[in-house]
Amino acid sequence: MTAATRLPPVLLGAVLIHTAVAPQLRLFGVAADVMLLLAIAAGIAAGAERGAALGFAAGLLADCFLQTPFGLSALTYSLVAYGVGAFQATILHTGRWIPMLTALVASVLGVVLFALLGLVLGQNHLVSVRLITVAGLVGLLNALLSPIAIRVMRWAIAPPLVSGVVLR
Amino acid sequence: MALSRHAGRSRLTLVFLILTSITVITLDFRGGGEGLIASVRDGAADVLAPVRDAGAGVLEPVGDALSGVTGYGELEDENAVLRARIAELEGSVLRDEGAEGELAEARALLDLDFGSDLPRVDARVISTPVSNFEQTIELDQGRDDGVDIDMPVVSGAGLVGQVVHVSASRSTVRLVTDPASAVGVRLARSSEVAVAEGEGPQRLLSLSFVDPAADVSVLELVVTSGLNDSVFPPGIPVGRVALADPAPGRLEQRVEVRPVADLAQLRLVSVLQTSNRTLRRP
Repeated sequence: MTAATRLPPVLLGAVLIHTAVAPQLRLFGVAADVMLLLAIAAGIAAGAERGAALGFAAGLLADCFLQTPFGLSALTYSLVAYGVGAFQATILHTGRWIPMLTALVASVLGVVLFALLGLVLGQNHLVSVRLITVAGLVGLLNALLSPIAIRVMRWAIAPPLVSGVVLR
Repeated sequence: MALSRHAGRSRLTLVFLILTSITVITLDFRGGGEGLIASVRDGAADVLAPVRDAGAGVLEPVGDALSGVTGYGELEDENAVLRARIAELEGSVLRDEGAEGELAEARALLDLDFGSDLPRVDARVISTPVSNFEQTIELDQGRDDGVDIDMPVVSGAGLVGQVVHVSASRSTVRLVTDPASAVGVRLARSSEVAVAEGEGPQRLLSLSFVDPAADVSVLELVVTSGLNDSVFPPGIPVGRVALADPAPGRLEQRVEVRPVADLAQLRLVSVLQTSNRTLRRP
């Protein structure tokens, strides 16, 4: 299996979890942003360039189920994934906690960026006092889920096996 | 050298994605809910609908279990029917109460009723809000079933929201608690006209433009006004006054309203088929 065959079901599965499961599991009324997490995981696992492309795809899928302007999530997620990928490239030794911390910070920044870009596009209701709560809780939930998301994304983008050896 | 070339290509990719996003956003704005982007959005929602339904069927019980909700199968269905019945009874009580108030005369004159003279499409709520910023629900009925944008949505108890997006087989309803929601209302006893605005999840609606001298009482019923070609027919119960603060010296009274519909437990709702093309304002 190649990344081309692994990524579509991963994206589809993420959409399912994002729309059917995550909304049921709310902490103080806030659900994890699975598609944003996927974009962040893509940045961590695939680097800035591919991460941004995957973040863009995840954002477009998320936009299908939102009333905000179509493309707003795509823009936000590609920027976040690129930033995460670029940041990840500067780290020499990655401890276990660094990807989780990265997911936490990137999720908070992603939610805030989404709201600010939305504000520029006339979505005034996105910026309110509640934004702080939403950003913080999304960051926390995404950080908790990040080890799974990163593992799945690493599997999805892994190069194909050649004679039983994984090319790196 | 190779590293800087790679970094340059990454930046180029990012610029390309940003420009593509801006183009998509622009197309969406220009389309105004129709056109290419709307078609893509509708198509994606419709194509994914069966997969989501199947997935929800498998995954929703997991979500229910994890969130501490243990209603399954027949028990869940039975609960849904009972909730709908309770909401219906609450609605009839509210209607009776409203008819006894000072609004009764005006209501009779204007032939106000809880949308009983309008055709309706009954629908099942298949998705709770996906976004942390939007208060929307998804219904299992769409354009093919007679649902259209702007149509009001009610439960047995009262107003739930308004259809803001519709595809062939699905529709999205903006709840009255959504920060982007604004509903023209009238206080049943004092006859004050105001606009009920959403303040977000688990928060009360706030009323704008209430005269500071108006005699607004707590628990007073608030119904849709139906004024100025509103998309909402008059007389639909919206909520009850939870707070009325006639602070002296202010231009308007601070009034907060608790929705009569239990928006957190919606299962079955009705879409009122108003002729939305002639009714535009909230």
